[in-house]
Amino acid sequence: MSNSILLTDSDLPSLAPAMQHLEGWEVERLLAGELANAVASRPAVRAVLVATTDPTILRDVVERAHGCGVPVIVACADDTVRRRAVELKAEEWFRCPATPDEIEQRVRAALARVQPAPAQATADRVDRVELEQMLHDSLTGLPTLPVMIERSRNLFKERGELVVLYLNFVRYSKIEEIYGWEKLDAVLETTAAAVREFLDDTALSTSRVMVSFTNDDDFIFFHVPAAGVAAATEGEITEMVARLQRHVGGRIEAQHGEDIAALFDIYVGRAHVYYNPKIRLERLIYRGIREAANASRSIEERERARRVADLRSSLRDRGVYVDYHPIVVTETRQIFGYEALARGVMRSLRSPEVMFDVAAEADLVWELSRLCRARAIEGMDSRLQPGELLFLNVDPHDFSDPAFDEHEVTHPERVVIEITERTAIKDYPKFRERLRIFRERGFRFAVDDAGSGYAGLGSIANLEPDFIKLDISLINAIDTNFIKQNLVETMVKFANDHGAMVIAEGVERAEEFKAVKDLGVHLVQGFFLHRPSHLPPPARVEGKTAAVP
Amino acid sequence: MQDTKAPSILVVDDNHDNAEIIRQYLETRGYRITVAHSGDEALALFETVRPALVLLDVMMPGRDGWEVCRIMKQHPTLGRSVRVVMVTALDEWQDKREALQLGADDYVEKPFELPTLAATVQRNLAMQRALAS
Repeated sequence: MSNSILLTDSDLPSLAPAMQHLEGWEVERLLAGELANAVASRPAVRAVLVATTDPTILRDVVERAHGCGVPVIVACADDTVRRRAVELKAEEWFRCPATPDEIEQRVRAALARVQPAPAQATADRVDRVELEQMLHDSLTGLPTLPVMIERSRNLFKERGELVVLYLNFVRYSKIEEIYGWEKLDAVLETTAAAVREFLDDTALSTSRVMVSFTNDDDFIFFHVPAAGVAAATEGEITEMVARLQRHVGGRIEAQHGEDIAALFDIYVGRAHVYYNPKIRLERLIYRGIREAANASRSIEERERARRVADLRSSLRDRGVYVDYHPIVVTETRQIFGYEALARGVMRSLRSPEVMFDVAAEADLVWELSRLCRARAIEGMDSRLQPGELLFLNVDPHDFSDPAFDEHEVTHPERVVIEITERTAIKDYPKFRERLRIFRERGFRFAVDDAGSGYAGLGSIANLEPDFIKLDISLINAIDTNFIKQNLVETMVKFANDHGAMVIAEGVERAEEFKAVKDLGVHLVQGFFLHRPSHLPPPARVEGKTAAVP
Repeated sequence: MQDTKAPSILVVDDNHDNAEIIRQYLETRGYRITVAHSGDEALALFETVRPALVLLDVMMPGRDGWEVCRIMKQHPTLGRSVRVVMVTALDEWQDKREALQLGADDYVEKPFELPTLAATVQRNLAMQRALAS
């Protein structure tokens, strides 16, 4: 290791003997005026001892040295210099003349004091990394709100008006809940890209449009009309929103499939903000955002009311159909059974998640569940080959529905009841008693969404299931994530010990299929092998090519 | 720039002895090792070291391993390529879930055998290369 250098302009005779006590140090003498530049340009300099009586030079040296994290010791000829040294926050000072011991001690003390500096620098670096994260969303690459406000400040003052559009992407949280945060991240990325694309070729591009992402799952547009152009009219904005909705929806369907696209919906609220020099600009803009957000919410409310009406008429007309999604044996790829997926006939209720959400709001869950169950069981005889099982989704709440009983099905031994714990089970003893009765009739049980956080090993042990369905979030990209592999391995081992079978849901890629196969997962369900369909699929299917549309 | 060189690993452990043992063991296996003794130090070194893999102790004073993992994985450029391996004394389902949620790629349970550690490092680096290409 090279020697540390002490820079100094001092010619004190006691300095040389003092430095001999400090191992590995060299003293270098310069003129007082040269110290500041030398400190900054030479990394080997570890301390400065300054003896000048010139206040400007002293200030300069101390500031430059501190800028580089180098401690300063001031050799004071008189009290004035001492006071300056203290005022400038030099690490140490001593009165001249001084003994070698005194100088040595001051240098050591100064070095000790400056130790915290690298830690400070560390904290600054961390702050910077965090700050960057705050200014731009790392996922979507869109600026965050403070950046947007800063950017639009001058333009807004100049043009005098600004339109805030608040894009409320409903049910994105649902995507996270069902498919995991990685999927939501991917969908948000697609959304942001689609939004940017859209802006590039919109009629509004003559004016200044800016987008921000709120880090929740909403987007905010600032639209500032160009000079000499009127702000977009209500009609233009409505038209633009409709096109944006189609554009983003199309992109999401193309990249993430129709199940996720069915969850997609934007409600757009808007607010006009006029510049007022008397009111703080930020406050004006935030008010506008709040107004736009509220507007988007009231549109959402209206939309919801319309959906409830749709649901009521669907229930009346039995407007639910069932898609059957094959579950296959991993080793042989033979059909083992089908999961029944209920879908609304009406377009607004196509997605089962949406349908059940609406039902929950309108207190129609039992009725909807009854209809879906009845539909799924109706299709059993025509759809399923003998020996194939029907996997039926049942919410724990359904067990307290008096109309749901063990005699509803003629072949209980061919039905597997899938239980999800998304809704908490309140009365465990009673619930288990109901399960026992069903089990005695010959029904089997599966725990749905295992590993999603809703169902840990503890609750799985509690339900003693015959099948464990692994959550999609555990399967998604399992080929590259060793933690997921370990968790699945644990589940398979647990299942083997308890005489149960593991089903991997959401297998979409060949790599994922291979990974779950290698881990010993017994059964597989997913787009890689089959898509859900109304038609009976062939008995054995190879990969994606044979998927039924 | 580091393609031609040995893969770079950032070892984060507040226990100096542990960090030193890991450093020596992995260095003899040809990796370039940088050691940090706290979460903050690790984050500060993150951009300069640009590690292919981070071995991250969970239990540290100040910013713990979870927090550090989250911040690293959110880094705009390095977050996607870096593999984060949590070093944890906890062997609970819930902890693994948490590790997953925060973007970790793998974990090693304490106390670990050094060969186990080496195997974990090796397969994660292999995966990192496979994903990068």
